[in-house]
Amino acid sequence: MRVKIRRLIKPVALNSVALLLLIFIVGPLLWVAIASIQGEKELLRQPTRFIPQNPTLDNYDYVFTGKIPTDLDVIGSSLRSRISQEARLIPAALKNSFLVATIVMLINLVIGPLAAYTFSRMTFRGKRASFNLILGSRLLPVIAIAIPYYVIIRSLGLLDTHLSLILVYLVLTLPFTIWFLTLYFNGIPTDFEDAALIDGCSTIQSLTRVVLPIALPGLVAAAAFAFMTSYNEFLFARFLTQSIDTHTGPVLIAAIAGNPDASYSLISVSMTLGLIPPLLLALILRRWLTEGLSTSITFR
Amino acid sequence: MRKAGGVKIGRRAYPYLSILPVLLVVAIFAIYPIIHAVRTSFYRNLLIRPNDHPFIGLDNFIEVISSYYFRNSMEVTGIYTVAVVIGVILYGLGVALLLNSAVRLAGPLKIVILLPWALPAVVSGLLWKWLLNADFGILNSLLFSAGLIEDYIPFLAVPSLARLSLIMAFIWKEGPLVAIFFLAALQLIPDEYYEAAKIDGGGTWQVFRYVTMPLLRPVLLVVAVYETMTAILTFDTIFVMTGGGPADATALISWFAYAEIFKSLDLGHGIALSIIIAMITLVLILIYLRLLRTEDSTV
Repeated sequence: MRVKIRRLIKPVALNSVALLLLIFIVGPLLWVAIASIQGEKELLRQPTRFIPQNPTLDNYDYVFTGKIPTDLDVIGSSLRSRISQEARLIPAALKNSFLVATIVMLINLVIGPLAAYTFSRMTFRGKRASFNLILGSRLLPVIAIAIPYYVIIRSLGLLDTHLSLILVYLVLTLPFTIWFLTLYFNGIPTDFEDAALIDGCSTIQSLTRVVLPIALPGLVAAAAFAFMTSYNEFLFARFLTQSIDTHTGPVLIAAIAGNPDASYSLISVSMTLGLIPPLLLALILRRWLTEGLSTSITFR
Repeated sequence: MRKAGGVKIGRRAYPYLSILPVLLVVAIFAIYPIIHAVRTSFYRNLLIRPNDHPFIGLDNFIEVISSYYFRNSMEVTGIYTVAVVIGVILYGLGVALLLNSAVRLAGPLKIVILLPWALPAVVSGLLWKWLLNADFGILNSLLFSAGLIEDYIPFLAVPSLARLSLIMAFIWKEGPLVAIFFLAALQLIPDEYYEAAKIDGGGTWQVFRYVTMPLLRPVLLVVAVYETMTAILTFDTIFVMTGGGPADATALISWFAYAEIFKSLDLGHGIALSIIIAMITLVLILIYLRLLRTEDSTV
């Protein structure tokens, strides 16, 4: 009997720890989602309820259609101040984020493998120097270059354009993409390319026809990283954008949350909407992301 | 075999052409701004005096280093970084060990594990600000319902608690990444090692200490340096959670640089500070490379 209990303790203990971890990781996300479907009055109750009594989609309605939620107190004209007009700009901001991130990802996928293949397979004068230069550019604290950036972008007349963000994010993402893909290509045996070269393939053809199909998981991972880095970026987006034409998700969410007049349910709606895209990405691509991360740490 | 002149030149130029796009992007948008920044740091540059930029040599650096805020932010950054790196390594190692074992809940855990890391830092910072809210935060609510506290605690208004909150937000967001790294390294350890250790009579702790830990050391080093750099450069989270914290309690060095530029409107100071941060980061990287080299020579 004692042996049986002893044997049970370990899995039970481990499972409880795992459960606690699960709650720790997922809890905040669930909470924000629950808060977003609660009316304002219910949300501010002390102590807070986990399961909303009157779940409502009014807040989402407001963001997408402008219909004022019904749960707010109307005292004279004070209704106005709790509704932030900014919340209605969320879909537009997310669209901006998406657009910029996708373009950056695509450019990464074109330029990245091209350069990485060269670094992986060829030797040429200046290879070490250029590789270190590209990697080294990533090591700066962005605060240092944010202001010079602003000045350069402004003198180019590119403030408040998607292009300025795309250019900045390319600098932020390309070095990592190239470093990662070089590592990845290094791990692919050259036999296939040797065979292809004998058959008369040029360098570019052996890259596109032989290596890229084999390296697909690595490419997916690199694309995902580039997308995520651009989507989640905040500092440059805040400096370089000035209107909703180019405001990205994180910038708008931070602005709404920093607005002391915004209703809390609206804040949670904007946070929920803001975290759905990266969440979906991480869930769908988690196998490639995990493989990519594991590769980068175990190869040298 | 003789080739036509054109093909030969094309062959030689190919490597350079293939890396040209990257080099262009890096040169124009990374190198040039850095040079511009370094040049700016040697001049007095106050945003309220746009036409008056006298050359002052190293004065910006000297003024910044000898200011109270510098000492404060170095202290805050130091404490924060040490706490956060130790915390995130313990957390990541624990989670990795858990995921590596055959626990039933390891499955769902593996699915959700990367979610916090995938979020924008502003969202994760706001999530935690939300949870720790003094009026209706869920953490306060839970503690209150469990009878552990009498009044709601204003986490972000108490300096020590505000720092703790920042640390928690960091561990929540970066922990999964560290866990994945450790998991990858753990999975590389062949089962035979564990079996041999067990045959030799090793208990769980001894196996961990003499088999697992030595094999994890390289990864541990990489993780430590990477997370240290990430910790020093924390900015987004501070921006949305504490804005420098109650009485500068969470004014990390990156926040200090931002405040110099946007609150004190002193561009020279801000950029000098950023350069100092960059140099600290550089030293860390050199240490990392040196450590890696000694690791390789002992393996």
